Amino acid sequence: MDAQKIRSDFPILQGGNLIYFDNACTTLKPRQAIDAQSEYYSSYSACSGRSAHRLSKKADEKFSRSRETVAKFIGAKSSEIIWTKNTTEALNLVAHSFDFSQRKKVVLTNMEHHSALLPFMHLAQKGAITTDFALAGKDGTFSSDAFSTAIDKNTALVVVHHTANSTGCPSPYKEITKIAHENGALVLIDAAQGAPHHKIDFKKEDFDFLAFSGHKMLGPTGIGCLVAKEQHMQKLNPFMLGGGTIESVSLSEMKLLQTQERFEAGVQNYAGAIGMGEAANYLMKIGMENVEEYEQGLAAELISAVQSIEGATIYGNASSKQRSALLSFNLKNVSAHQTSLMCDSLSQIALRSGLFCAQPAMEHMGAPKGAVRASLYIYNTKEEIRIFRDTLEKIAKLA
Amino acid sequence: MICFIALFVFGVLSIFSAKYRPFAKQAFDCTFRRLTLRACNTSLEEEVKSKTVAWALSKNAAFAKLLNRHWELLSWAFTLLMFASLAYSLLGLVNYIYYGDCNGPTPGGFCIYSELFGNGTANPSQLIAPSSLAGIQKGNANASVVVTEFGCYSCPYTKDAEPKVQKLISEFSGQTLFVFKHFPLPTHNNSYDAALAAMCANDEGKYWEYRAALFERQDEFRSYGNATFLSIASSLSLQNFTACLATQAHKGELDSQIAEGLASRIYGTPTFFINGKALVAPATYEELANPVKEALANAQ
Repeated sequence: MDAQKIRSDFPILQGGNLIYFDNACTTLKPRQAIDAQSEYYSSYSACSGRSAHRLSKKADEKFSRSRETVAKFIGAKSSEIIWTKNTTEALNLVAHSFDFSQRKKVVLTNMEHHSALLPFMHLAQKGAITTDFALAGKDGTFSSDAFSTAIDKNTALVVVHHTANSTGCPSPYKEITKIAHENGALVLIDAAQGAPHHKIDFKKEDFDFLAFSGHKMLGPTGIGCLVAKEQHMQKLNPFMLGGGTIESVSLSEMKLLQTQERFEAGVQNYAGAIGMGEAANYLMKIGMENVEEYEQGLAAELISAVQSIEGATIYGNASSKQRSALLSFNLKNVSAHQTSLMCDSLSQIALRSGLFCAQPAMEHMGAPKGAVRASLYIYNTKEEIRIFRDTLEKIAKLA
Repeated sequence: MICFIALFVFGVLSIFSAKYRPFAKQAFDCTFRRLTLRACNTSLEEEVKSKTVAWALSKNAAFAKLLNRHWELLSWAFTLLMFASLAYSLLGLVNYIYYGDCNGPTPGGFCIYSELFGNGTANPSQLIAPSSLAGIQKGNANASVVVTEFGCYSCPYTKDAEPKVQKLISEFSGQTLFVFKHFPLPTHNNSYDAALAAMCANDEGKYWEYRAALFERQDEFRSYGNATFLSIASSLSLQNFTACLATQAHKGELDSQIAEGLASRIYGTPTFFINGKALVAPATYEELANPVKEALANAQ
């Protein structure tokens, strides 16, 4: 994989000295994804599948093709892809559409993003479900025992991250899926940090639901999707209805579509979906195996760089295999925000600081006031990590 | 603590540019929380600290380290300094408005006539002696030494010089002619009307009594104007005063004295000319009397 060649596709990286290490929040966009989205607005800005004119047909063709591309990217069928505005909406869609009438228990972990935690905690507060939590060790990783204890025959759904946004470490999702299915429970994978960095095969992994966003994988903001096995999708009860969701309606009855469109009420974010399709295409051309391999190299370099700083505390398991090039840490006697702001001021390094919308996870790992997060992607280089290390060293010496 | 300074700085910058308004809003929020003994919940303070320390780090690592370690202490120090300098500036402003001098009623001070002061002529050597003797006169009309004062009844420095003037008139009454020319300062309330009122009192032979009362009740007439002028006139039993003042009977005469002052490049009151030699706001009686003595000696 040629990172320099990849960098040339990103307009924002041309000229200037930007070092973008905030990819877990959102990634930069390649020209191909920008152009695809822009082309929709400039050449065929129309509703897909509603009108008969040529623009509408072209929009429909591109929109459908994007669904197919995204499905291929994630190892699913296009009929299993439901467009949402992001991972959060996809997770909420399951929370509010799932049938909890037979089993009410939902198992989560303390390492989840708020977008996975809150919808289910909210339902539990209202008495619609009960929740149980599998707890991670202090390093943010799990033993499968944590899940075999929490998941039982009363469990309806297990909601777990593919890769934690606070540590970059993967969950034992294979074991979790196995345990869940053995107990008759379904699995919802939050792959917001997984899909952009790892090869995921939805069918092969036997996931039931999986959610991810376009903007964290080189695509535009405002688009994401829920991947749902067809047999489970049929059982979901849409919580939002509108144009494009029904087969027929009269004042006395309505008949919902049986396809995924019944969850896609109203005019969709066509441009976003087309942009996301192009981003998925871009990644597939590189090859997700290559992305994984390159990132693991970056991760090793990144960990080594931060470990070399005196007084730096790393959160999560630094030696975890299959991890993303994402690292949370703090410097001794320098606040996370200050470290982040100074990296920006000194070397134009964009980092995230705070609790990363994962307050329980950060508190659990001993960072209740937050940490600094460096999250890298395919266009980042070892030279950038060297600049980052030098900058951190200067800041650490202030303490 | 830096939010107090940020509020002031961004508050001022926000007046001129909208891009600073979000910072000013954050600073206001932070300041309000600090004043109500709560922790600041915006990142502004950390942002200011980080940018400042980063700037310092690009100059000198030891300086940056010092700044980083003692940021809170330095913030307190700068905040207190800001409040002190703000208070000092406000005091200066009040002094300027009231005394025409940011330093307040200091000996040797004068009430600034801003228009000329602004033109950069605040230099006694550039003053030009008036050619006429028009004004309120006292003393020997044939004297070889003429002492001319340009003064303003509302000016605290003219008031401050008054005992010295009276002593001078008394000491050199037979040997000098004292001429008072009105030069009311436009920045002072009721100064113009006070000059007109004194000239009306002069019509009835009560100028010096009226003048003394004006200086005595300076604060009062600056606030209440006509009410004070009429009250003084009543206490002196002036008969035609009200009509004289109401019709501005001496406006032409007063304006011509002001024009004389401008021609003489008066930049503050009181300004004296002793046989043409200029003296601005003498701090002591001797400073005023000595040039008179010299002029008398030269005249002999």
